[in-house]
Amino acid sequence: MAKAFNWQLKREINYPYEPKRPKRQFAVVMDLNKCIACQTCTVACKTTWTPGRGQEYMLWNNVETKPWGFYPMGWDVKLLELLEGNKKTVFDAPEGERVLGWKPDDLDWMYPNVGEDEVNEPVDIGTVLERLPHPIWMFYLPRICNHCTYPACVAACPRQAIYKREEDGIVLIDPERCEGYQECIKACPYKKTMFNFVARISQKCIGCFPRVEEGLQPQCVITCIGKIRLMGFINPPEKARPDNPIDFLVHIKKVALPLYPQTGLEPNVYYIPPINVPLKFLKQMFGDAAEHAVETYMAMREGKEPELQALLHLFGSTPRIPHSFAVGANEVIAFDETGKEIVRVPLVEPLQFRSHKDERLDVVRQDIP
Amino acid sequence: MRTLIISLIVLGLAIAQEIVSKKVDRVPLDPFDRAWEGASAVEVPLAGQAVTTPMELKPTVSKLIVKSINDGKYIGFLLIWEDKTKDSFHLVGQFSDAVAVQIPYKPSAEVPVTMGEKNSRVLILHWTAARQENIDNGYSDVPKVYPNYAYDWYPHSTPPYEYPKDWANQYALNYIGGEKVFRKNTLNTPVREVVAEGFGSSTWKDVQGAEGKGIYKDGKWYVVIKRAFVEENTSNPDWGPGKSTFITFAVWDGSNGEVGARKSLSYSWIPLKIER
Repeated sequence: MAKAFNWQLKREINYPYEPKRPKRQFAVVMDLNKCIACQTCTVACKTTWTPGRGQEYMLWNNVETKPWGFYPMGWDVKLLELLEGNKKTVFDAPEGERVLGWKPDDLDWMYPNVGEDEVNEPVDIGTVLERLPHPIWMFYLPRICNHCTYPACVAACPRQAIYKREEDGIVLIDPERCEGYQECIKACPYKKTMFNFVARISQKCIGCFPRVEEGLQPQCVITCIGKIRLMGFINPPEKARPDNPIDFLVHIKKVALPLYPQTGLEPNVYYIPPINVPLKFLKQMFGDAAEHAVETYMAMREGKEPELQALLHLFGSTPRIPHSFAVGANEVIAFDETGKEIVRVPLVEPLQFRSHKDERLDVVRQDIP
Repeated sequence: MRTLIISLIVLGLAIAQEIVSKKVDRVPLDPFDRAWEGASAVEVPLAGQAVTTPMELKPTVSKLIVKSINDGKYIGFLLIWEDKTKDSFHLVGQFSDAVAVQIPYKPSAEVPVTMGEKNSRVLILHWTAARQENIDNGYSDVPKVYPNYAYDWYPHSTPPYEYPKDWANQYALNYIGGEKVFRKNTLNTPVREVVAEGFGSSTWKDVQGAEGKGIYKDGKWYVVIKRAFVEENTSNPDWGPGKSTFITFAVWDGSNGEVGARKSLSYSWIPLKIER
């Protein structure tokens, strides 16, 4: 076992291979305050990548309702049991194993909509939701592969059929090396590798790498109608650039957090936690940093974080990958890798007023609400 | 751990025997053919794989009965072992029973028994019940495994969307591993030829010639693995009538979650004498 530094845990973890960060690391930020579980991302991913034989049950992108939704069934409850909360990483494996994991069976995958729209507990008559966080709550959690810095799937595959790309950190399975042992499925704490029993290979989210190679954000990101997602490249904290949108959200403002960071994998999908949810639950899911993230987001709502508020306008505003951004008087501008402008988004749209009476024609307009 | 490995290897050596491949007129595929009757049966003890991770620390199969015959061109192995459950499917979270024989390319016991090493290759002939099931009862496609499944439409394939028949085009296959995976899945033999030079290196050969047949009867698997000593257009171990080489075995019990490195195996080379 080698040692690898995990900045999310601020300590070294065990890892079976020598740690090596890629030149660039794929990362996505998702603002959970805005997700409405329309599943447009799920469908976009499904129709693009998994309409094949043996892929019927596969959702590389899924959206589940928390606290009662799971895909596969009970995945994070079982994970917390295995890790004894946050006492272990998945690399603290028992004798004979590479990774601490559990293997879902086929029925576990059959209920992607379980718990959908269900709140945490029954609502009493007369309950009023006045203050944040709410006593009665639920939220939607969209999930893709985390393209982890220290992937458990890579660690677990005895055939080294899974690799992490040097150029963008995307984690891929080589179908020609894969023999369908399903060690990756057992190992991945987020359960984002899936077995195709017809082709007899495991398959997973490919981070839409053909798009990323062209400087474009993935399908699930650009099709999001709630504009909750932004894909970019994240740097480790000591190399964080304030003008990199992902670095700004994760490292500078610390408003976007990894999911179950205690796994030790350094997952690279970062979530802005939902402010309606009690902190106890958010801390269990995103770690202690959830408190600061919620405070910052609340401050933004009061106008105290103008730069952060401006940056959120970039979400869903361009299909291209923003490498840096700048905030103007009433706009936010994104730039590509070469520094060329790719989009300019107004923060407040200009308002146009039309009176209900057209004085010139002396008629009343019918289309004014 | 080291003590365990050494003790297992010593244990293996202590009971290592010789397998004689008896000369017959013809090597049959049928495990119950009379040709096998004259060959002497050798009992090979097996232990859980505990050298590399992931290990099999609670194996269910502890011995294998082996017979071998050859007809001068082909060599055959009859492998019999007890298994309470017949596991013929390789599905989500579910694995197939399997058996494999391993032969070094160079007839030397110096070749690491742990799947060889760089420049010391081994040939592995790997039979699985799941591939046998495909041949005996049709491919384990979606309607066979989930008869009540519903699906609207698959792009690039044509109704009734049967795998492999309706998926034999590049566009449809790109979703599910591509052409090479397809070829691997559609070989008309339950035995796959694999070369390896160390753990995790086993690689499917481009030219496949081995044949086999497995029958599950009264709580036991009876499996025949058959291969020509010399196959055209591919690499072959240094073996043949009148020669001696070495052999080891591995067994997988699917319902015990055994797959890949999780298996029972014979921990040392067993001399294989091939009659002329």
